[in-house]
Amino acid sequence: MGRYENILTTTKLCKNYPGVRALDSVDFDLRYGEVHALVGQNGAGKSTLIEIIAGSIHPDSGSISFDKDSYVSFDPWQSIALGIQTVHQENQLVEELTVAENMYLYDLPTRKGGIVHYGDCIQRASQLMKDLGMDIKPEKRVANLSFVKKKLISIAKAFTRPLKLLILDEPTASLDGHGKDILFRVIKEHKVRGLSVIYISHNLYEIFEICDRVTVLKDGKKVATHKVKDVSMRDVVRNMIGSSQSTLYRRDKGVSPPPGTEVLEVEKYSRKDVVHNVSFQVRKGEIFGLAGLVGSGRTELARLIFGLDPKDSGRLLYNGQEITPKNSYDAIRKGIGYLTEDRKGDGLLLSRPVVENASLVALAKDKNVFLPLPRERRDVNTISKQLNIKTPTIEQLVINLSGGNQQKVVIAKWLLAASEILIIDEPTVGVDVGAKVEIYRMIDELARQRKSIIMISSDNPELEAVCDRVGVMRNGELVTVLEGDEVTEENILHHTIGVFDEMEVK
Amino acid sequence: MKRFTSFFMGKGPIGQSQILIILIFIIVIVATLVNRRFVHPQNIINIFQQIAILGIVASGVGMLLVSGHIDISVGSQVSLMGAAFAMMIQRMLALPGGEVESWRQFMTYPVAIGLTFGFGFCLGLANGITVVKSRASSFIITLGFMSAYHGLALLVTGGASYMLFGRFELLGRGRVFFYIPVSILFFFGIVIVAHIILKYFRYGRFLYAIGSNRKAAYVSGINTDRVIIKSYIMVGLLNALAAIILISRVGTALATTGDAYALDALAAVIVGGVALTGGKGGALNVFLGVVLIGLIGNALIIMNVNPYVRDLVIGLIIIIAVTLSQLSERQS
Repeated sequence: MGRYENILTTTKLCKNYPGVRALDSVDFDLRYGEVHALVGQNGAGKSTLIEIIAGSIHPDSGSISFDKDSYVSFDPWQSIALGIQTVHQENQLVEELTVAENMYLYDLPTRKGGIVHYGDCIQRASQLMKDLGMDIKPEKRVANLSFVKKKLISIAKAFTRPLKLLILDEPTASLDGHGKDILFRVIKEHKVRGLSVIYISHNLYEIFEICDRVTVLKDGKKVATHKVKDVSMRDVVRNMIGSSQSTLYRRDKGVSPPPGTEVLEVEKYSRKDVVHNVSFQVRKGEIFGLAGLVGSGRTELARLIFGLDPKDSGRLLYNGQEITPKNSYDAIRKGIGYLTEDRKGDGLLLSRPVVENASLVALAKDKNVFLPLPRERRDVNTISKQLNIKTPTIEQLVINLSGGNQQKVVIAKWLLAASEILIIDEPTVGVDVGAKVEIYRMIDELARQRKSIIMISSDNPELEAVCDRVGVMRNGELVTVLEGDEVTEENILHHTIGVFDEMEVK
Repeated sequence: MKRFTSFFMGKGPIGQSQILIILIFIIVIVATLVNRRFVHPQNIINIFQQIAILGIVASGVGMLLVSGHIDISVGSQVSLMGAAFAMMIQRMLALPGGEVESWRQFMTYPVAIGLTFGFGFCLGLANGITVVKSRASSFIITLGFMSAYHGLALLVTGGASYMLFGRFELLGRGRVFFYIPVSILFFFGIVIVAHIILKYFRYGRFLYAIGSNRKAAYVSGINTDRVIIKSYIMVGLLNALAAIILISRVGTALATTGDAYALDALAAVIVGGVALTGGKGGALNVFLGVVLIGLIGNALIIMNVNPYVRDLVIGLIIIIAVTLSQLSERQS
């Protein structure tokens, strides 16, 4: 097999989820000894593609060939047997076990009678660590190690079995400079010996440093594959943005009354390692977007503002008066609402009816002993019609509604509470296109009612279409606030992944 | 019947309550076929009198379980408070046979009852605060309290029994209109109050919210800790009531008099269809569960079956009821 033959080829891979085409006829190829980057915005289909290759998802159609053999789909065990290993973004280690045990957990070396041979296990782990140039003691308990070491262990674990294809999902997100050097050295050493790597990262600098080719995905489709040495970062970013689909909805920012004076002041919010000294203002009737990668500190900031997590510093002022909430019920009494990102985790009472979900915040806000049952039904029926929530009756359990309608129930809950300040976190994740537009209209309507809105989103076209201004967060800091004509998908993306300065130089 | 149940439990897929009603019918029919006396009004009243105290304890446990929390210390709470109540009455009336002033006679019962409720409040508060602040599973915490209260009861009683010598029999043995035992009125009253709290009080709604998704309830502005502590206090107060009626009925207190109520109450509530994970169920579910457990005990006696079979049968019925409802839920 020559240097330029493919180890992996996918042909017309498709995968559909209700309302979403996660992968649309994707052809992807990977050569022996190649490091191939996979880039794209959130929801582009990167995860779906690597999960199909790793065998945890079966495609709806298409085929995969690996090492000359053709497959319709893989099962996880099959993919491992073929020599495919994935290092996930989240560590998948057993914290209470030692490094060595974690590395060989799938098949611990044993003595006769099935008793684990720890000495053998540690010796093998220690030899592998030495080969990979990692300075980690195999007998240490994983829980006591730093994030960087845990990530390195996850990478080393992939090398305990025959390895032909290594999939790295955002490997440097939890690595420091030294850890990154180790990883890159390991990649370079092994690629000479024929190891192929699929490398997912938001960091284009890394990709231009270590990768041979880069494939750009967008909305489940492959946009292009480039040789890294023949392409500029600017072009890759352009591919990632593509021809925007945001024409579906565009808020008419000129028509709504111009935002008033700055009423909501977010002042110097900090929490160690998560949010660093973030300040910004939001006007009455304004939609202020917060952009950034997952983990850039946006949701963490929202939780600090709402009083859900303890903060190191920060004050919240409304019309010049301090209203910094102490906890969620304090926040709600002070007129702040928070539509959380995780609908099922902390947004909805799935096993309860629509009516109880929708009225919950309003109930928590007032002080009556008895439930105002007739009024509750009337209010919820009205808001349900207004938001076009598709449910047979308001007695329907929320668990039986579709994602878009569930999200509308969350919105209804905060509308009935009549909050003046609203923090909306990822309002359209897992929501079908039709419901998306309805949700944008709803948010616009709230702005017309002169509320102050902070909208967090990973969907940059959505931020461009909806927001008056957009603040971009990176590594816990608010790096810039874009206004007026600056609010474009391209600008947001540049600041989000931080390639802006480099591009100016080019 | 359908309308009757949907009035109490709301509409929804056929759940444990419907299975339960069918089970109750089967038991009644079988027992009646074996022995006519089973449906005699006096026997029916006997059954309800036997389950009245269990019903009061189970109402508290049921409301707490709606919020997704459990209290398995209820049995030893009843024992401890029963012992304390009996000891107070003995001391204050200088029983047996002591002479006390009439004002003291007059004050004894209100004071003892008041103190017992105060005691129940404190036990509930202790359980609630510990569960909330430790963030540990309520099962484990109240398992600890169960043992602690049991030990405390043994300590204060010194293992001895405390008799009332025929005093204070009204609550446990008394009847109104010559016919209906007072304890049954308390049982029905508590079930109705529980129903009203769960359906018409803001607090009841919050219990369902917390049981369904505690994080979402917190983010929605409910002071979840306070609501949970209140529920444990409510359980403590109902246990105090149960302890007073129990001592009045049996006329003597031991350190273990009420211990059996812990498992029976939990069994009744779970068989009744209050979800162990919280957020589902209502007062009628608790009522049906309690009635079922009472019926089984009584039916076995009336059918001349070895009474020791009771626990075995109750255990099997819990397993069958829960399995059936899980299966029907998975199908829908």
